[in-house]
Amino acid sequence: MLTHLTVIGIVAAMKKTNPSFLNGVPELLVLRLLSRREMYGYQIVEEIRTQTGETLSFGEGCIYPYLHYLEAEKQVSSQRRAVDGRSRNYYKLTPRGRKRLGELTTEWKRVTTGISSLMEGQHA
Amino acid sequence: MLNTDFIKQLRCQLVNLGCPIARVRRLVREVADHREDLKQAALSDGLSESAAEIHADTLLGNPLELAERLTMALRQSSWWGRHSIIGFCVLPLLAVPVLWSLLMFLSLWLAFAIGYALDQNRLHVAADNPANFHHMFLVVHGADCLAIALVTLLFCWLARRSALSFKWTVTACVICSLYAMFSWIRIAPHSLTLGLTLTPQWFRFATPLAVVAMAYAFQWRTVCRFDKEVAV
Repeated sequence: MLTHLTVIGIVAAMKKTNPSFLNGVPELLVLRLLSRREMYGYQIVEEIRTQTGETLSFGEGCIYPYLHYLEAEKQVSSQRRAVDGRSRNYYKLTPRGRKRLGELTTEWKRVTTGISSLMEGQHA
Repeated sequence: MLNTDFIKQLRCQLVNLGCPIARVRRLVREVADHREDLKQAALSDGLSESAAEIHADTLLGNPLELAERLTMALRQSSWWGRHSIIGFCVLPLLAVPVLWSLLMFLSLWLAFAIGYALDQNRLHVAADNPANFHHMFLVVHGADCLAIALVTLLFCWLARRSALSFKWTVTACVICSLYAMFSWIRIAPHSLTLGLTLTPQWFRFATPLAVVAMAYAFQWRTVCRFDKEVAV
């Protein structure tokens, strides 16, 4: 089933449309993708869809306010550039974004380890 | 690419919902890029030009709903958008006295800078001199009006910047107006009195209303210019 990461809120992203345990996931996914290379909005949406095996998906077009928010927080920076005759806004990770990605990754691993332990009944 | 029906409707709705023009420009440009990418992907899948356009529009959904989602996300991305009641109903009450105090402090600093406060007696002598006292009177009442006007302007700007609807601007303005109407300030030689009164202070009441009317006119002019610009 496709889970739509429709960005309604930014701080508590997805609060209204998704379970609360998914809060912060869009930020983690976007920062993770941008840590690999510069990307534009469409590419980010497509990469999230394909790399999660179509389990997760941003609403088309809804990623832009989110990217602008990350830019305002100085976690990403953007530049308008023409590539192959098409002009687009490319986003890339900043040092602050890299630091934030580290924090989110640690937190994500902590949560998933805890959930896995419970699901596998290790403490039973 | 920027003048398809989809993009026109999106742009129009973003403006109507109160998005700042600079933000509308950027969002529209990026959504238009996104739409073009969706269209190119559909074309590479073998669809015709018109079918690819329809496919891209279908994936993006209703432009009016998309504009609402984009505006909502923009509002939620700022503290002012998430806490509008505190921001536009409570904080204006605190902001006026804070800014007034700052302006008075600035006035005292100016008095110090031109030499009055170096000698306490000179301030007393100046207060007893009608011409000098008139200057003090103007400075105090000027700082008072300026504080009210600046606070109203600040909240107009914050509401606009956070893509909030005009009702929040009006709310903050009405609160500033009511606060200004029932508070008063009086300066007499050797004394400065502040307080609340049941006698309406109509000039003070009108100051925030005048500011919000000017802010609205400015916003309307900006939107008209933008409409003309995109129509070309």
